[in-house]
Amino acid sequence: MIKIEDIARPADRLTEIVPERMVPLPPPYDGVDALPPRKRLTDRARANCDCSLDGFLAVGMTRPKTEEEEQQLIKRFIAGLDRLLSPDDNWAFLQQLTLSLDHCARCQTCVEACPIYTASGRNEVYRPTFRSELFRRIVNKYAKRGGKLLAKLKGEDIEVNATTILRLLESAYRCTLCRRCAQACPMGVDNALLTREIRKLFSMELSIAPKELHENGSVMQLRVGSSTGLKPRVVKDTIEFLDDEIREQTGLNIHTPWDKPGADVLLIHNAGEINAWPENPMAFAIILEAAGISWTMSSDLAGYDSVNYGLWYDDAQFARVAVRQVQAAKKLGVKKIVLGECGHAHKASMVTADRLLPKDLDIPRESSMTFLRDIVLSGRLKLDPARNAFPVTLHDPCNMVRMMGIVKPQRDILKAICPQFREMAPHGVENYCCGGGSGFAVMSAFNFEDWRFLVAGRTKLKQILEAFEDCPDPETKKYVCAPCSNCKGQFRDLFNYYGVWKKSGILYGGLVELIVNAMTDLQKPYIKWEFH
Amino acid sequence: MPPLTLALIAAISVFLLGNLCRVVKAMLMPVHLRWDLYPIPKGPRDRQRYGGSYFEETEWWTKPIDTGLGGEVAFMLKEVFLLRGVFENFRALWVWSLLLHWGLYVYMVSAATAVAVSALGAHLVFERTLLLNAAFAECVDACTLGGIGSLGLLATRIFNSRLKGFTTRATVFNLSLLAAIFGTGLIALFHPNRGMLIALAEIVAGRHATGAYSSATVCHFALVAFFLVYFPFTHMTHMYMKYFTWHGVRWDDLPARFDEGGRRAIAKNLARRVFWRAPHIHEAADQSWAAVVSSSGQLGKTEHD
Ligand code: SF4
Ligand code: SF4
Repeated sequence: MIKIEDIARPADRLTEIVPERMVPLPPPYDGVDALPPRKRLTDRARANCDCSLDGFLAVGMTRPKTEEEEQQLIKRFIAGLDRLLSPDDNWAFLQQLTLSLDHCARCQTCVEACPIYTASGRNEVYRPTFRSELFRRIVNKYAKRGGKLLAKLKGEDIEVNATTILRLLESAYRCTLCRRCAQACPMGVDNALLTREIRKLFSMELSIAPKELHENGSVMQLRVGSSTGLKPRVVKDTIEFLDDEIREQTGLNIHTPWDKPGADVLLIHNAGEINAWPENPMAFAIILEAAGISWTMSSDLAGYDSVNYGLWYDDAQFARVAVRQVQAAKKLGVKKIVLGECGHAHKASMVTADRLLPKDLDIPRESSMTFLRDIVLSGRLKLDPARNAFPVTLHDPCNMVRMMGIVKPQRDILKAICPQFREMAPHGVENYCCGGGSGFAVMSAFNFEDWRFLVAGRTKLKQILEAFEDCPDPETKKYVCAPCSNCKGQFRDLFNYYGVWKKSGILYGGLVELIVNAMTDLQKPYIKWEFH
Repeated sequence: MPPLTLALIAAISVFLLGNLCRVVKAMLMPVHLRWDLYPIPKGPRDRQRYGGSYFEETEWWTKPIDTGLGGEVAFMLKEVFLLRGVFENFRALWVWSLLLHWGLYVYMVSAATAVAVSALGAHLVFERTLLLNAAFAECVDACTLGGIGSLGLLATRIFNSRLKGFTTRATVFNLSLLAAIFGTGLIALFHPNRGMLIALAEIVAGRHATGAYSSATVCHFALVAFFLVYFPFTHMTHMYMKYFTWHGVRWDDLPARFDEGGRRAIAKNLARRVFWRAPHIHEAADQSWAAVVSSSGQLGKTEHD
């Protein structure tokens, strides 16, 4: 059995993923041989990075090359620990951090709640408390008075060397921050919070974060306006093209309003939708126009992209993006912001940024789930549930549900328009993460995708298959409603990896697509049963 | 003052002061950002049942927000007295943990009863006997429950495969200490000469003579005194720090628009200086948080400008 102190000891591999030991999937997914071949790390990655945690790389930090570089790394890492405990540098999360560091009873009550740990066949390295306890011991030893002596006395001595640091970093990207374990902890300790603090230390002190979240994520968003790289002119052109698409597909004449001062609603999508799932923003436009809503989109910096990747790894990046999004709304003088189908964007803007915003920027922010529920139940749209006569299940995005308590509105809609709606087990605030949480859905460097599909998404896939176990035949088309852009990204890749569309006929998509599919104003079904 | 009385008074003082310090320290932490976790026991009961929040309301900011503590108290009572979380998530641990916790609770009640005896005048013989008998029965229960609980927990911690890799020296020490307290308590209670509870009543009243008690009694109180001093420096303070982890963090869902004080506190936090050293944090050295937030972190203009 791997022990926490092993983290500092040199070894080619601390652990590895053995598919045979993992939680089995139902047939036809039970054969290990049918899995796509694993990606091999390049020789360069092997030479420069430390993949000795579990053979995978998510961040791929470069290993220090000299003794001097290693000492420098250790020094800066320890300085980062001090900053995490400083009220100046970490006022935003200091309370939560110290409570979780100081009050864990090591009772392991939380561990079975973790979909990653259980799916992996209970691999010690993925145990929610493994990472937390390692970090706790490091903090206690290196950032607290008398820590070194106490660490020896208590038998909790961990050596911080380059191997420890590099493995700790990779380990912080083996948790989706889903907070299922926190929900189960009787002390109120939060392993996910600790994971985020580790990520934060690396980003804010050592400038180390996954490229997809930082350079190509929040930095890109603050530079051009969106983490997709879409500039305002391009995004406007694309949406105009989508308006044409709506006309062609449905005959409806829609012009998405841009930068309309005084509109009631500023709709902010996860801009990833515009490129990857254009049917989603199109469906929103159809619904809003049909319901007679006064709405607009904004072409201001961050005003057309609701994502906020800083939520997962960096307080400064988080705050910068959050403020700019509401500034866009303020400039237009809208009555409220409605957040499109993106879970983390919901939480970032409505919960985490809540106290950060000065009064004049506190523009009301509403979930599209409640907003759509009100439209659907008001009878403003002519809907025929018979148009959605296929099995539908609902995925609960962790950020929107477990961390915001938005549970029922989306169910009210589905119950009204999908006669074959069925729940997954468990669901609601006890749901399982899709496996793409905390940025994983957009992370695909090195061989990380293999881990994401083999381990992180495994529990969810099993749950989805079980929800449709009465109709496994691929000819019966089924729909996983995932009202979150990142979750959809994970489902797309996960389903591709396991061949779910082919083997089981399961499609994933958003909530608005189902609403539009039920609209009697449309001649043809809106949902095209094509996997993309 | 007799040495045992002195030792207990000193231990209780450290206990109170140590715990007070922990609470004050937690209270003085800077106001933090929200980190809600549902279910939160607030709002209408049917919503609480599935873990819904006020965000489910149409234009939630126009509706009253439930700041009542009723649901929180009910939840906490279940957590404290029934260990609901452990029951639901780790049944093998729950049995022993419940016994230990109830042992501690009943022990506190019996100590309070014995202390009450010391407050009664010597002439109230009937009342004193009644209370002493009650305290005796309580203490026997407490030590039995606590003793079985702590030993059961110790064994579970050492042998259960889910736990053993994470059982620290401190855990073994804490449980052994508790087992010793309950064990010596039981022995002292049944000492033929003078029961431990009479001793406690006398000690509290400052009336006993050194050496008059059984060694089990002296040993028991010495262990209790040590435990009281040690307790505030351990994670066992979770007993009351749960107030902060639950009420102060995961249930702290009050929106800023209904919490002007909180907003002001955050505004003050934004004036703090930032010392993080990654290049994207600072455009100039040692800026305030407010300056960092309003900068783009790009060391220059954005492509949007
Ligand atoms: S995080 Fe909570 S449940 Fe998990 S070991 Fe620590 S105290 Fe126990
Ligand atoms: S937050 Fe989720 S993924 Fe991370 S350790 Fe906890 S349960 Fe596991």
